Amino acid sequence: MIRIKSPLLRWLLIGLAISFSVGLLGLSFWLVRLDQDVRARYAGVRWVLPAQVYASPLELYPGARISVTELRRELERLGYRASDELTGPGTFAVSGSELRVDTRAFAFWDGVQPEMRLAVKSDASSLTSLRAMGSDASIDLLRLDPMLIGSIYPSHSGEDRVLVKLSEVPPLLPATLIRVEDRAFADHFGISPKGILRAAVSNLFGGKGRKQGGSTLTQQLIKNLFLSNEQSYGRKINEALMAILLERHVSKDDILEAYLNEVWLGQDGSRAIHGFGLASQFYFNKPLNELRPAEIALLVGIAKGPTVYNPRKYPERVKDRRDLVLQLMEDGGLIRDDEREAEALTPLGVLNSVAGGVERYPAFIDLVRRQIKGLYREEDLGSEGLRIFTTLDPRAQERLEARIIADLPDLEKNRQLKPGTLQAAGVVTSVEGGEVLAMVGDRNVRYPGFNRALDSQRPIGSLAKPFVYLAALADPGRYNLYSSIADEPIDLKMPNGSHWAPKNYDRQLHGNVPLHVALAKSYNLPTVRIGLDIGVDRVHDLIEAAGLQGPPRLPSMFLGAINASPLDVAQIYSTLAASGYLTPLLAIREVMTKEGQPLSRYSFQLKQTLPEGPVYLTTWAMQKVIEFGTGRWAVSVLPAGQKFAGKTGTTDDARDSWFAGFGSDRVAVVWVGRDDNKPVGLDGAAGALRIWGRLMRDLDARGIDLTPPAGVEEAQIDPVTGLLADAGCAAQVTVPFLSGALPKDYAPCANAGQSSPLDWLKDIFR
Amino acid sequence: MIPFLTVTAARKPRVLTTVALIAVALLAACVAQPTVPTRPESTQQTQPPALPPTSAPAETIPPLLPTQPPVRPQPSAESFPKTLAAAGTGPAVLALARQAQTFRSAGRPQDALGQYERALRIEPKNAFIWQAMAETHLALHNVEQAESAARKSNSLARGNPWLELGNWRVIASALGVYGDSPAAQAARTRADEIGSALAASGGGGAMPAAASAVP
Repeated sequence: MIRIKSPLLRWLLIGLAISFSVGLLGLSFWLVRLDQDVRARYAGVRWVLPAQVYASPLELYPGARISVTELRRELERLGYRASDELTGPGTFAVSGSELRVDTRAFAFWDGVQPEMRLAVKSDASSLTSLRAMGSDASIDLLRLDPMLIGSIYPSHSGEDRVLVKLSEVPPLLPATLIRVEDRAFADHFGISPKGILRAAVSNLFGGKGRKQGGSTLTQQLIKNLFLSNEQSYGRKINEALMAILLERHVSKDDILEAYLNEVWLGQDGSRAIHGFGLASQFYFNKPLNELRPAEIALLVGIAKGPTVYNPRKYPERVKDRRDLVLQLMEDGGLIRDDEREAEALTPLGVLNSVAGGVERYPAFIDLVRRQIKGLYREEDLGSEGLRIFTTLDPRAQERLEARIIADLPDLEKNRQLKPGTLQAAGVVTSVEGGEVLAMVGDRNVRYPGFNRALDSQRPIGSLAKPFVYLAALADPGRYNLYSSIADEPIDLKMPNGSHWAPKNYDRQLHGNVPLHVALAKSYNLPTVRIGLDIGVDRVHDLIEAAGLQGPPRLPSMFLGAINASPLDVAQIYSTLAASGYLTPLLAIREVMTKEGQPLSRYSFQLKQTLPEGPVYLTTWAMQKVIEFGTGRWAVSVLPAGQKFAGKTGTTDDARDSWFAGFGSDRVAVVWVGRDDNKPVGLDGAAGALRIWGRLMRDLDARGIDLTPPAGVEEAQIDPVTGLLADAGCAAQVTVPFLSGALPKDYAPCANAGQSSPLDWLKDIFR
Repeated sequence: MIPFLTVTAARKPRVLTTVALIAVALLAACVAQPTVPTRPESTQQTQPPALPPTSAPAETIPPLLPTQPPVRPQPSAESFPKTLAAAGTGPAVLALARQAQTFRSAGRPQDALGQYERALRIEPKNAFIWQAMAETHLALHNVEQAESAARKSNSLARGNPWLELGNWRVIASALGVYGDSPAAQAARTRADEIGSALAASGGGGAMPAAASAVP
């Protein structure tokens, strides 16, 4: 034994021994604490799972109004691939008028739609047959998987992801990931000394080139989950220790699954693309299990650095990286040599633009966000992975967008306006059910900025007039569609002493006009005359009953001094279109948990708030707007033989150009104007009507059912006097009246006397 | 993994109903008049046409020109479809209605409603589907929606007495939930009138299956 003579040295050694023991003790405590910390933190890992938002699914059935050509387009939008034969879910093949498709399975709110191989035939406009392949049995009905149109992610972190399970991903993905990132993953205990050594050597001799990580997947996961991005030895040591500890508690599979869901794989503005599930949608617009080996190689390749390896920005660099990963796949025996060669020849296949995401349908997603906000807590929306099924009809949306994109430049050219001067917004809803099918809030339809469809509050002008006429027609003792209304000057002394003297839009007076003509031609003076007679309160109440709260109780309201958004207008016109039944316009159908459990469903809600008979008469007059009134241009584009009802709206100096109208199944509202509220020189007919008419045609909207409802009778009328006509009259028109309120008298042209056959028959049926 | 917060589900407000209610309250007066139309045409079918005592005018006056309505021949009750299948409904909607019926029998009325809504997206004016929806709402004690959907069905029934019978029964039951109000009595009377008229017309009490499902 060595005797230490120097007392100084002895004390020094004793001191060292003590500090070592204390240090060891401290380290032990530190490790125990770190272990608890790792366990607690890992157990508490809550994947930030933004709510996923889906469009409405396409229903396929014999008779569905979609041709094979359009169906093909729908499938491509959903990321289905065309090929010569079906090779698995998400593929289709077209031969002549027949389309075969292998549909994806999807868990809907009311059950799972299994994968199916279908053969579909159509004529030019609709499906004629739908069969399961290998069977002659016709299929009544089938839903395609709905399109993922976006997610509601927390604004603070911007993390977006679609959770996947290890058991559900193609095995090639984790195998490739291990091959590329951490070959010894299966054997190491959290860190890989060999890997660290290799990295150290490489970094030492590799100069300033690429630095090797040497981190295991476990270490990378620890870093991504718990640690900052800071590059320091302290952090590195912590990371290594935590990785070792984590491996003691968690299985390799769990670590791998967590990694697959955590890794950052791209950026979309403020939205961070996390996990392979979302990345697959983000880059290829299809689910993970439909990826080809080259696509898996690409995703694994860019995990190294999604900024440097951004396939949309640096396609060549990414192709090199992908091909390198394919080589590693082959080296590891994951794919064959000939497979690698074939895969390396394929293009990257990355979509040019972002497939889903709020950037695609920003106005509609905005509406979904607002409607869901009151129903769920913000943090749950951003993190609980709710699945929100919406009413968006991608085909209607596409048509609305196409019209606004195509028609605004034409309108500008016609009015010699500088390109880009005009702005527009549009809404399409279903008549029964009040579902918002399409929405555009900016002529740049992908721009997620100011949403004019919801937030632009503009005077609605003559769009208010149908409610004045509705109020009149609900009073059958005084008004019917042929009541004669004087189109004469009005000068109204207001309570504040000022005078209100409205003028007609054409500055002319038209003498006595039949009531429906005054609406069809949008004359202001007869409208004000009727409104004053019926009363501001009645008209006000009808507008509120139709679904727009708080119109000012002033006579100027008759001419539309009411500020409203296009969606507000769609609401009140929907109530007219649905025969007086108010259905609050909705964008959400169902909400499910991420596990597929139904959470809430928003069923059709309706309530009759307007009287059906007078609504029918008003709608009849609104058809005249298109037949011969201010909207007659639409006749040139709408399908012949079908009736649509609508109304132009123009505000002072033509600052706002509106058209709102409907058939039996669709309501559409279009606004055109300028953000600075300067005159655009377009009235409703010259501006919004052009978009609306073509839109209704493109939507394949159906015309109005002309059968009068209960409480309405039709009679033959002499158009000159508005009185009953018979064979003696040269001109006769069929006009609806509220039951019991038919004209009593015959027109002078009628040869019928007191004992006319009409009276006789009427007595029978009275 | 992460337990879902059931709190949020429970907080789901009935915003829609509230909005509708407010709107309705504001307009009670003008709604009242035409929502309950008294249109006895279906009962008239059942009796011999009440011709005037002298049928002479029919001979002396030339027959009506085709351009002269307002008188349409009133179709007999038997000419109206009694069931969904007889109403020219397409196979897709029939399949959904069957699925909905299965859900209803299995005590899953909410799921049934979902199927009816899918059906209405395909055939929005199908009065039989609206009626089935009304009945389902009634089973769920959504009395307001039951009444509204039944009235909607009546609006679209275009005089079909079989449908009207079922709808008035739903309306009577829905209104009856709040006690035996005059409105509930009126609806019940209306249903009884149509029912006895149909029975008298030789329908032999053969009620459509849908109507008999009303509790």
